[in-house]
Amino acid sequence: MAAQPKTLPAHQPSYLEGGGILGWLTTIDHKRVAVMYLVSALFFMALGGFEAMAIRVQLWRPDNHALSAATYNAFFTMHGTTMVFLVVMPLLLGFFGNFMIPLQIGARDVAFPRLNALSFWLALIAGILLHLGWIRGGLPDAGWFGYANLTERYFTPGLAIDWWVIGLLVSGASTVLTGLNFLTTIIAMRAPGMTYMRMPMFMWSLMATSILILIAFPALTIGLIFLLFDRFFDTHFYVASAGATPILWQHLFWLFGHPEVYIMALPAFGIISEVIPTFSRKPLFGYPMMAYSICLIAFLSYGVWGHHMFATGMGPVADSAFAVTSMLIAIPTGVKIFSWIATVWGGSLRMTTAFYFALGMLLEFTVGGLSGIMHASAPIDLQQTDSYFVVAHFHYVLFGGVMFTIMSAFYYWWPKITGRMLDERLGKWHFWLTVVGFNLTFFPMHFLGMWGMPRRTYTYGADMGWTHLNQLETIGAFILGVAFLFFYVNIFKSLASRERAPADPWDGRSLEWSTPSPPPAYNFATIPQVRGRDAWWILKYGRAGSRGVAAYMSGRAPSQPQPSEPPSVEDIHIPAPSIFPLVLSLGVGTMGLGLIIDWYRIIFIGVAVMVLSIIGMGFEYADFGEESHDPEHAPSSGGVDVRKIGMWSFIGSECVFFASLISTFIVYKSRSFSGPGPQILNIPLTSFSTFILLMSSLLMVLALAATQRGDKRWERIWLGGVIAFGLIFLGGQVYEFTSFYHEGMGLTTNLFSQSFFVLVGFHGAHVAIGVLWLSVLLAAAMMGKLGQSRALSVELVGLYWHFVDVVWIIIFTLVYLMQAVPGA
Amino acid sequence: MSEIADAHGGQIHHPGAATYLTIAAFLVVLTAMEITVFYVHALHPVLVPVLMVLAAAKFALVAMFYMHLKYDKWLLTGVFVFPLIIATLLLVSLILLFAYLSNHMAPIG
Repeated sequence: MAAQPKTLPAHQPSYLEGGGILGWLTTIDHKRVAVMYLVSALFFMALGGFEAMAIRVQLWRPDNHALSAATYNAFFTMHGTTMVFLVVMPLLLGFFGNFMIPLQIGARDVAFPRLNALSFWLALIAGILLHLGWIRGGLPDAGWFGYANLTERYFTPGLAIDWWVIGLLVSGASTVLTGLNFLTTIIAMRAPGMTYMRMPMFMWSLMATSILILIAFPALTIGLIFLLFDRFFDTHFYVASAGATPILWQHLFWLFGHPEVYIMALPAFGIISEVIPTFSRKPLFGYPMMAYSICLIAFLSYGVWGHHMFATGMGPVADSAFAVTSMLIAIPTGVKIFSWIATVWGGSLRMTTAFYFALGMLLEFTVGGLSGIMHASAPIDLQQTDSYFVVAHFHYVLFGGVMFTIMSAFYYWWPKITGRMLDERLGKWHFWLTVVGFNLTFFPMHFLGMWGMPRRTYTYGADMGWTHLNQLETIGAFILGVAFLFFYVNIFKSLASRERAPADPWDGRSLEWSTPSPPPAYNFATIPQVRGRDAWWILKYGRAGSRGVAAYMSGRAPSQPQPSEPPSVEDIHIPAPSIFPLVLSLGVGTMGLGLIIDWYRIIFIGVAVMVLSIIGMGFEYADFGEESHDPEHAPSSGGVDVRKIGMWSFIGSECVFFASLISTFIVYKSRSFSGPGPQILNIPLTSFSTFILLMSSLLMVLALAATQRGDKRWERIWLGGVIAFGLIFLGGQVYEFTSFYHEGMGLTTNLFSQSFFVLVGFHGAHVAIGVLWLSVLLAAAMMGKLGQSRALSVELVGLYWHFVDVVWIIIFTLVYLMQAVPGA
Repeated sequence: MSEIADAHGGQIHHPGAATYLTIAAFLVVLTAMEITVFYVHALHPVLVPVLMVLAAAKFALVAMFYMHLKYDKWLLTGVFVFPLIIATLLLVSLILLFAYLSNHMAPIG
């Protein structure tokens, strides 16, 4: 007999209530995950800020030795690494993104809640790994972009760079999972009526950012994997004396690095586009152009990495191309600046701290944008490269543009997130001290850079004439430090306060303001129906545009729409907590730790924990993966399951991963000085392997067809066939690698061998993962747990398997057939 | 040709076994052509373009029929094709940039 549904209690407990410590460790609620990102990021922000202050103390006077040169190197390296990977991205994406995406699109959670928790725990593990050098081996000290070949073990022995490589690999995995999750959520889980052109601009920016993450991070991953191989397995991907070129690292790093700037800037643009209309009491000016500008910026940002490398001598054609694309980005960015100004213009302004910071961002970011246009010009850039002018530029972008926005977002959304207000008086102090401190610190750097002061310099001579401006900067940095103290005090004061924030303290425009402050675990009692842009404003005042403003100005009290009918507690779908994201992350961390301290038992323990956690996650819910969503949970997916969108997003990201590997192979294949070359490749064997893999794809679709029609016998037979063919393929690869070894071609023999083994080996690893995944499904089929209703599980592994197949089609052609013929 | 309804919603139709077998036959033939081109020396002057066309055809067949892009929503095609284009541009760009580097830099070592 079915239980009687209970109606919602009068008091709706907030997401912060209940569960205890275990509840937080196992939470997959996007809001709690966001809060954990916040705590972690605030800690690392204090640490990164301390490192910045120490740098400024060192530069206070000429020939200073307040820090040792080694410590100074470690501090500027860790300041950059910490602020980019452990503060700005976690705050923008992990904290504000996580908290706001479901609330702004009218959903109950993100598409993959467990993956979301996994992203956080991996990010935390990455932060810990990056800082374990404090305890053993020293902090990384090769700069935040770790240029090769300084990072090679020959030049930087010890563990410091090892922590950096492993930490960033884990951080990258976390970020890619976040991007995949956010993209799928925004595509598939918008409330009914929320078309793309009705989304809050923050959602547009996060959607574009997620795409950028998926196509930019694989390049960094590959660059780091090469570095890892160089340091741990004695390959020579960045060693010039072996015929390689350190320039490869620069390309791979900046292929990630410049989009990374926009991965940080675009969410900031989105937040500003929320704050300014709210406090101007006007709809965002030029909404469509703002949305298109975000897309154009994201697209162009992938084609400008070369402007970081003008000094490397890429040639006039490449220099011109990168200069043009870099200058083009100024156009959509200018569109945004003017649209924000036009939104403020004529508005009924409410001068809150959040709005102060938003206006501050407009001014400071514009200064950084203007100096950025200078860098787009190759001749000018050559004068500015590696000078303090560059330091000034990127701090005006990342602090003036992004950190001002983060502060604005804090004052704006803090009441919603915590249910408490931040003190406006302390906030104004915070703002003005930040403005003064920030400009005192960074504006003089323009002059110092033009006068020739190199960035990262440990100290300088008294005769250089740089002393007074450096002292001014140090004073500014301390003022900035005091400003942050005001911020932290404000946070603690707010948390200690008993005064509760109203649900809609700013008369907001988007759906998050329709929920209580702080929101309940399920966000919305009923999924809202969206009737236009500024969905909550429309519900309150009837219209979003000028008529809505008129209604507001006439003093019409906003209506507080109620849910259409009281739902029952059982009707609300909330994902169940899971311990596996935490355990899996611990496995990853253990494996990384074992690799660095060269203790193989630790590695095996880490791998075992990872594998068991993944299997545990597979069987935790009924569908061998993420729990199925009820129909109201993915209203904008057009009938496509969110898991399928997620898998395709992952496959898209993998395209860039393999493109980076393949291009490296093509670049390096003929640069070897000695040892076997492409002639060693065994075409008959790989032709057979290709045939086997193609036929395994046939068996895979036949398995899917059998599952879909409920034919359990053939489902098992075809799945078993795919596994068998996968194992034959892997066996062929093992045979091929072994025979190469006996013929004198090992991993480290030459550039051809190392780029071949890494490329083909990674493909083989993908096949092995596919075989494992298929084996779990076959086991489920044997236990009778698969079948027609769970055909999607087979379809998902099928998509992965076919992708591995198409990658092999490319490898077979580019790596084997074309290379084995001389001169091809 | 038998068409099988998708498990979720029944709106999307995947092809039946006959289509899958036909595609497999095409894939085998195209692979055989690739290997033939490789072993016939007279065809080596056009080896690169021919192999690229054949590989692209195989890639497209698997993506369209086995990965069901031909039958699924356009959304999924977009999610796949956009990064694929980016990946291709990346590949070509890096090859060209390093070709310039190789031609204009003094050899090291």
